[in-house]
Amino acid sequence: MQCIITIELGTNGVRVFAFDLEGRVIGSMKGYHPTFHTEPDYSEQDPEQIFITTLYLLKNLLNEYVHPKKYKVASICFCASMHSVLAVDRNGNPLGNAITWADNRARQEAQELRSSAVGKALYAATGTPIHPMSPLLKIAWIGHHDQERFRLTAKFLSIKSYIIHQLTGEYMTDYSIASATGLMNIHSIAWEPDALQYAGITADKLPDATPVFAAAGRLKKAYQQSLNLPAETKILIGSSDGCMATLGDGVLGEGKATITIEDSGAVRVMGPTVLKDEQMRFFNYLLTEDCYVSGGPTNNGGNIFEWFTRQFGDFSHPYDMESSMQQLIEEASKVPAGSDGLLFLPYLLGERAPIWNADARGAYFGLNIKHERQHFVRATIEGILYEMYSIGKILGEQRNIKSLSVNGTFGVIPFWTQMMADMFNRPVRTRQRSHSVSFGAFLVSATEMGIYKSLDEAARTVELPDVYRPDKQRHAIYADYFNVFEKLSARLTDEFEAISALQRKHALPQPSLTPIKN
Amino acid sequence: MNQFVLQHGKSAELRLFPHILEVGIKKNGSIQLNTFLTTAAEGLRIYCIMEGRFEWCIDQQPYILYPGDTALILPDVPLGSDNSVLDIGAFAWIHIDMEKQDNGQIHPGKWSGLSDSEGAAIWNLISLNGTPVLSRFSEAGKIIKCIYAELFGQEIGYQARVNHQVDELLIQVTRHMTKQGHSGRDFPKTFMHLEEVLRRNLSHQWTVEEMAALVGLGTTLFNERVKSYSGFSPINYLINIRISEAIRLLKQPDISVTDIALDTGFYSSQHFSTTFKKLTGYKPSEFRKNHLSNK
Repeated sequence: MQCIITIELGTNGVRVFAFDLEGRVIGSMKGYHPTFHTEPDYSEQDPEQIFITTLYLLKNLLNEYVHPKKYKVASICFCASMHSVLAVDRNGNPLGNAITWADNRARQEAQELRSSAVGKALYAATGTPIHPMSPLLKIAWIGHHDQERFRLTAKFLSIKSYIIHQLTGEYMTDYSIASATGLMNIHSIAWEPDALQYAGITADKLPDATPVFAAAGRLKKAYQQSLNLPAETKILIGSSDGCMATLGDGVLGEGKATITIEDSGAVRVMGPTVLKDEQMRFFNYLLTEDCYVSGGPTNNGGNIFEWFTRQFGDFSHPYDMESSMQQLIEEASKVPAGSDGLLFLPYLLGERAPIWNADARGAYFGLNIKHERQHFVRATIEGILYEMYSIGKILGEQRNIKSLSVNGTFGVIPFWTQMMADMFNRPVRTRQRSHSVSFGAFLVSATEMGIYKSLDEAARTVELPDVYRPDKQRHAIYADYFNVFEKLSARLTDEFEAISALQRKHALPQPSLTPIKN
Repeated sequence: MNQFVLQHGKSAELRLFPHILEVGIKKNGSIQLNTFLTTAAEGLRIYCIMEGRFEWCIDQQPYILYPGDTALILPDVPLGSDNSVLDIGAFAWIHIDMEKQDNGQIHPGKWSGLSDSEGAAIWNLISLNGTPVLSRFSEAGKIIKCIYAELFGQEIGYQARVNHQVDELLIQVTRHMTKQGHSGRDFPKTFMHLEEVLRRNLSHQWTVEEMAALVGLGTTLFNERVKSYSGFSPINYLINIRISEAIRLLKQPDISVTDIALDTGFYSSQHFSTTFKKLTGYKPSEFRKNHLSNK
C-alpha cells in the first residue's frame, strides 16, 4: 500500500498530512511556530524552529500513522506561504530570521515603486503586486538598509527552499513560489532582468526555479535513517498555499472562483490567461507553465473576527476562543441580514485588494439609537464578507463567475458560507473537515505518479459535497448596503491617511521588554 | 491600626520567626525629607500601599504607587525615592528571608508549608517577573495586618498562624503576578509571552508547573490549551525551542558543544547529544561539521 505525504509550511505553523492514493486522509498533525515582531513593521520567523517543527511532525506522523500500517511513502510534496525571504551565506546558514509575507519594512520602497513607470512595467511582467510583501522589495530593502547582510548573502531563499535545502542539500524553488517573488517574468518563466536590477542582485543569488512536479533531490542519509524512509522516496517541490488551495477545491475551469478565509483571505480564479489591470489590483501566479492562479488578497479576514471576540466575547472559560466565537455567531444570527443598517469597514490592518491602501482603518457606520450589541456582531461579520465580495466583484469584470467554493477555517463556518452565497448571489460549495491546501498538494503528487493524466483532470475529480444556495431577499438587502460600503471605502481615502498619520504621530513608543534577572 | 516596626534581632515578637527580617506599617501625615533612603536588602521585600500616593524608584525606574498597589522588591534591588522624600500616605511592608538550599534552589525555608518544588517554583516565578508593581492587590495589606494582629495578640497557635500567613502572602503574590496581564481572552498573546520568557531563560530547568504558573494557569488547563494551540505538549514545545537555538549556535564555530548543551537547558552534553540525534538524525558534532565546511 502506498501513501502520499504533504507538508504545508503555513503562516503560523506546519501541517503534515498522510493520504492514501484515493485521497483519503490517513492521519494529520499540526505544529505551531511563532512570528516575532521586533519592530512594529517587522514580521519574522526562526528558520531553525520551522525546520525542527517540520522534522518533528514528519517523524511523528510516520511513526504513528504510516509505518505501523506498513504504508510505503510514494512521495512527500511541499507547499508553503508565499513571499518569504531568507538570506543564507555560502555555507547555506541563515543570516538572521526569515522575513514573512506580513512584513512591512519595505513600505517606503513599495510606495515609490508603485507610483513609477518601472513599477507598472514590473507588475505587468511579474504578476506580483508592488507591495512590501513582495520579496523584490524586501531584497531591495536589505540592499539599502542592511548592507552587511546583503554582502554576505549567497542566496535569497524562501522558507520552503531553506527547508528543502536542509533535507536534501538542493537549492530549489517552484514556479508558484518564484512567481510570487516579484522577480520572475510570468510570461517567459525566467527571472526578470529589470526586477533583478531593481533588487540589486544577479540570478545566481536565487535558487533554481522548477515546475511544481520536480523532484527536489534525495533525502540526506541521516534523515533516511531517522525517518526510516528509503533513499528513493521522492521529495516533490510542490507549490504555494494559495495555488494549492485553488487546485484542491477543483477551481480549474471556466466560471469558477474560490474564496479562502483564514486569518487573512483571498478570492481566486484559475486559468490559461492572466488578469490585466491598470490599477494593479490583482496578482497572477503560476501553477504550471500554462496555468495561472489570479485574484486579490485581503489583510482582514478571520483575524478581525478574532479581534472582535477578544474584545467583546464572553470568556467564561479562559482562552476558549472557539466557544466565545460560537456564542457571538449565535447572537449575530438573531439579527436580520444587513444588521438594520449598521455597516462595518474591516480595515483594521490596512488593506490590500481591492483598495491597496496601507493607511485604511476600520469604522462602524450608520449607527442609530435602535442598534444593540448583537448588531455590532453581525455587522462585523458582514463587513469582513462585503470586503471578500468587493474583491469578487472586480474579478467578475474580467471573468464570468458562475459558482464559488469556499475554504479556510473561517470560510467554512456555515453562517459565513451562507452569507457569502447570499452576497454573491451564487451557489457556494464547500467541504467540511478537510484542508484544501494539503489536498491540492495531494493532487500534485498523484498527478506526478500518473494517477491523473494532468492537473486539469485531477481538479475535475474534486467533489465538494456541501452546497449553500443564495436567498434572493437577503441578496437584495446586502446589495443595497454594499453600495454604501463600497462608496465609503473609496470616499474615506483622505481621512484614512489623516487618521493613520495621527495614530503614528501620537503613538507612544513601544514598551521595551523589561530585562529579566536570574 | 497603629504604626509599628518589628525588626529581626531587635524585636522580641520576632524571636520565633527568624525568616521575618522586618514587618511594619507606616502612616505619614506630612511630606518628610531625607527619610526614605534608597536601600537594597538581602531578602524579598513586599510593600503594600494603603493610602495616599507614592513616587518611588525601584531598580532606578520611577513608579507611581496608589492604594492597592503592591511593590515586590527582589534581593539586592535598590528601592528609594528622589531626594529620599517620603510622600503622604500609609503603607504596610514585610521583609522575608529566603533560603538557598544545597541543590542551589531558593526556598522560603523549613518553617514554610510549601514543598521543596513548590517553594522553588514560587521563587523562580517571582524572580522572573518583569514588572515589580502589582496593581489592584490590596490582599497583601490585609495579610500583613493579620500578621501584625497575631504577633501582638500571641493567642494559642499564633506561631503556626503567622507562618501560614507568610505562605499565603507568597502564594497570593505569585498568583496575582502571573495573572496580571493575562485576561484569559488572548491565548496567542499569552503564549508569546511564555515563548519570550522561555527563550530568555533557556538554560533554566523548566517544569510544566512553572510554565503554567508563569501565565497564571493551572497545569491541567495549561496542558490542554498549549496542546490545542501549538500541537505540542509544553515540554515538547520547549524541546523544539531548545533544539532550534542549539542548531543556531552549532553554526557558530566559537562555542563548545558542552556550552551549547548547558546554554540551551540540557543537563549534560550526553543528554543534548541523544535528544539532538533523535530529532535531527545527526550528532551535534556531525551537524556542526556539515554546516561549517565550505561547499
